[in-house]
Amino acid sequence: MPIDAGTVEKIAALARLELDPAERERLVRELQAILSYVEQLQAVDVTGIEPTSQVTEGDPPPLRADVAGPCDVRDEVLAQAPDRDGDYFRVPKVV
Amino acid sequence: MSAAKPGAAAAPALDEAVQARYEAVIGLEVHAQLKTQSKIFCPCSTRFGAPPNTQVCPVCLGLPGVLPVLNKRAVEFAVMTGLAVGASIRERSVFARKNYFYPDLPKGYQISQYDRPLCEGGEVEILVEGKPRRIGLVRIHLEEDAGKSLHPEGKEGVTTTRVDLNRACVPLIEIVSQPDLRSGAEAVHYLTKLRQILVYLDVCDGNMEEGSLRCDANVSVRKRGDRELGTKTEIKNVNSFRFVEKAIQFEIHRQIGLVESGGRVSQETLLWDSARNVAEPMRSKEEAHDYRYFPEPDLLPLDLGRPWIESLRAALPELPDALRGRLVREHSIPEYDAEVLTETRALASYYEEVAARSDQPKLASNWIMTEVNAVRNKTGQPIEEFPIRADRLGAMIRMIAGGAISGKIAKQLFELMLADPAAPDELVRRHGLAPIEDGEALRALAREVVAANPGPAAEFRAGKEKTFAFLVGQAMKQSRGRAHPEKLQDALRSVLVEDR
Amino acid sequence: MMRPPDSTRTGAGSRWTLSTASEIADAVREGKASAEEVTRAFLAHADRTSDRLGTWLHRMPEEALRAARAVDLKRTGGARLGALAGVPIAIKDNIAIRGIPTTCGSKILEGYRPPYDAHVIERLREADAIVVGKTNCDEFAMGSSTENSAYHPTRNPWDPSRVPGGSSGGSAAAVAAREAPLALGSDTGGSVRQPAAFCGVYGLKPTYGAVSRYGLVAFASSLDQIGPFARTARDTALAYNAIAGPDARDMTSRAEAKPVDLAALDRGLQGLTFGVPRELLEGDGLAPEIRSCFDATAEAFRAHGARLVDVSLPNAKYSIATYYLIAPAEASSNLARYDGVRFGLRAPAKDLREMYEKTRRQGFGREVRRRILLGTYALSAGYYDAYYLRAQKVRTLIRADFMKALGAADALLLPVTPTTAFGIGEKVEDPLAMYLNDIFSIPASLAGVPALSFPAGFGPTGLPIGLQLVGRPFAEETLLRAARAHEGWNDASKKAPPIATEAAA
Repeated sequence: MPIDAGTVEKIAALARLELDPAERERLVRELQAILSYVEQLQAVDVTGIEPTSQVTEGDPPPLRADVAGPCDVRDEVLAQAPDRDGDYFRVPKVV
Repeated sequence: MSAAKPGAAAAPALDEAVQARYEAVIGLEVHAQLKTQSKIFCPCSTRFGAPPNTQVCPVCLGLPGVLPVLNKRAVEFAVMTGLAVGASIRERSVFARKNYFYPDLPKGYQISQYDRPLCEGGEVEILVEGKPRRIGLVRIHLEEDAGKSLHPEGKEGVTTTRVDLNRACVPLIEIVSQPDLRSGAEAVHYLTKLRQILVYLDVCDGNMEEGSLRCDANVSVRKRGDRELGTKTEIKNVNSFRFVEKAIQFEIHRQIGLVESGGRVSQETLLWDSARNVAEPMRSKEEAHDYRYFPEPDLLPLDLGRPWIESLRAALPELPDALRGRLVREHSIPEYDAEVLTETRALASYYEEVAARSDQPKLASNWIMTEVNAVRNKTGQPIEEFPIRADRLGAMIRMIAGGAISGKIAKQLFELMLADPAAPDELVRRHGLAPIEDGEALRALAREVVAANPGPAAEFRAGKEKTFAFLVGQAMKQSRGRAHPEKLQDALRSVLVEDR
Repeated sequence: MMRPPDSTRTGAGSRWTLSTASEIADAVREGKASAEEVTRAFLAHADRTSDRLGTWLHRMPEEALRAARAVDLKRTGGARLGALAGVPIAIKDNIAIRGIPTTCGSKILEGYRPPYDAHVIERLREADAIVVGKTNCDEFAMGSSTENSAYHPTRNPWDPSRVPGGSSGGSAAAVAAREAPLALGSDTGGSVRQPAAFCGVYGLKPTYGAVSRYGLVAFASSLDQIGPFARTARDTALAYNAIAGPDARDMTSRAEAKPVDLAALDRGLQGLTFGVPRELLEGDGLAPEIRSCFDATAEAFRAHGARLVDVSLPNAKYSIATYYLIAPAEASSNLARYDGVRFGLRAPAKDLREMYEKTRRQGFGREVRRRILLGTYALSAGYYDAYYLRAQKVRTLIRADFMKALGAADALLLPVTPTTAFGIGEKVEDPLAMYLNDIFSIPASLAGVPALSFPAGFGPTGLPIGLQLVGRPFAEETLLRAARAHEGWNDASKKAPPIATEAAA
């Protein structure tokens, strides 16, 4: 499937990545090369094959019991927040 | 607490005849916060109202390197809800990531469920004008809540948003209904019933003001008889029973008005503004949403296994519909009474104890539905905090039934009992409320009344039977209602005759 | 306060820096060396070598010496010391240590200090190991050369004009250069095994689920595993044992991960069957020196009592395509949390949207941005089925191939890389060419099975060659046993690059 500048623009917006025109052109080329390569998967017969989204075998650890524990990282985390307003994180207004 | 009664909606004016040509099609998406101690994927507390960012840890802050660990109780609560509404429970459900950016969504994705939710199907029965209607459910799934963004709305010159992540990662279930609702009033009935079920199960506190229950409504209209659905809009932020009906009626009218004037409803998301009673499109320059759902690799599929599901089913409490049926059956009270008495499980238990102690199921129901609820409506007290406990009310009703006090005296006694925790018979003694039954005492009372009302007495004696009732009334008043009615009449008649 | 015997601070340092982790731990446990003197020796050696190699992103001399003294006190107090008593260990910079910068080689995390320790860090401390610093890596572990670090490249200790491999290049170089006897890296598609091969050390990617990922900054969650680097098979086992096992904070970790029995490592190759995946070897691009090293090693395995059989992995050829859809897709989601809201870099902006876009544009490097876009594309509406879902189905086929092959063999023997270490700057402009080098390491990652890179020889220019053993789930012991046997007749692992043995000035 060919990828064009408009598509790159769209996915960059979804991924919240700023793109300048030169980079967009370069990415069209690079992504096109990768996508052409992965096109080989279309040739694989996957009829009736279940997708694998995890490969862990064996028994998982037990689910967590519903017990509240200590939460004491606020100061350590807020101290390195890029911006804060008292005990809140602060961000530019949502437009 | 009770739901607001369906009332008039503030919506664009619309001719009733025009309205009647249309049918609204409504589905609700309800988010209910599960009543767990800790969050769904980390051990932080879920307590409401804590100072900002005090109930956060690396996991719910979405710091680099952390992983979610599923809370067992949250799973059980979701399964219980599914079982309670007759949904089918998936033995293997799958968590998925819903990807989008927002400052109160720490990981940049919400862990939710997508194509394999925990529960599918099921229904909720509601009573619309006394007739049962079944509202189908599409699904119930588990997910985490986001944090809270405090926007500087209306504040001049403020250009920042503050973020509190205490609520991030709090467990929610999303309950999606079929588009089976036809009016704002029905939506309120449905929501009320759903809330009742959740509270009965004790999986959600049902508190809309604190955001424990939130509602988005999908609304479309079509001409009556049309089979095809109209374009729907989604109204978000309908977070109070009071607003649900208003918001939906508003949107129904808006859509009908639009279609009538030759316009077309466009698929959009509206935000309900409860201050101005209008729903407005969300201000947003966002591209069309593309959440890029995919299975959450950090949480393997959730395998419940039959035995676990069955043990949860076996432990389900009695639900409102079953309890209502049982009250009708066991206590021979009307369906209506049972409906009122099952508003909460606590109220029903209260009723059952009063009924048992008084041995007067219908009288017990009358007293609770009228006197008890009248006080509670005024004070807003839940039954658990009502000052007259079931044992005392039961004893009082037993006294009425046994003739120890009259119904009229009982009302005075009830007032006293609200303020004084003493036993009812003790209060009767202390306040001299026992009935006057003694023949001599009643005759003395009668003489007083006859003496004080010579005119009416004379009229009676002259054959005007009607004035007798007046004299009885006067005597009863004189006794502050304590006189035994039949015996009083006998006494009065004998005094009038003998003194002639 | 009692001080441990301070035999030397500099001079005899090389005695310890050339020692194995096992030797150091034994000496410290028996009181023949103090953890402090061992730590000082490694710190002093790294002082001389690390600037030339660019091994570290953050060194921790003070914390290391404090930890070493605590271990020494523990011993003199009569307590039994852990399996890694006094053994310095280098940690890849995508593993969280409380209060210590953790950048993942990215500008977006510059200055970030986690408020918690990774599970493996807790485990290492329980074993009385000494964490000496954070090593350089490709940004968010995306890369095969460590050139994608936003801070500086790392050089190969055997030839500073060449890359150490990646993404755990700093950890591999640290162990090869004897700046630490052990290191941890993370392996998503070969990021432990490939740099181990390029640097001539051992590198183990454990079975998926054998080591808790709690505290490992996620790249591709269904593939990431933390694994150790070491200079002997036994040391590799020691480090693996220290970190493996279930963790309640990682629902993908597994109790099936049992410690390796160190005594069992000496059982030799008798009774073991090794599978050779022929069609993978026949692909083009395999350098002749690697091919001949592979053939010689296979022959030596047979000569030492192993049985060799041909096995088939018919779908392994689709591994790269599969991997470069699945890993970026997961990464695009995992990297969404770097949004400038709570930690790390934030670019000045007039509104939220601009803040996101500028922060992420400035904070992420080229390769990371490329993969985020690729992954976003693979998951987006209209492409999900054709790309991501199809890749997941092919992953099922690849995994099935491995399970079948590992039914007929105890382990598979194959190369790690098609070539020896390439030159710095040689491949940076061609991402696809870089990806194609992963053909031998990615299949085991997709299958979730354990794989060990072991030093097997040297190319004509003296660059190390590593080969790979791939085993059944949770059969790390078999791989280490085979590598231990190989060590018995092959001295590739015993050679050190010149920089490692430079005498103290």
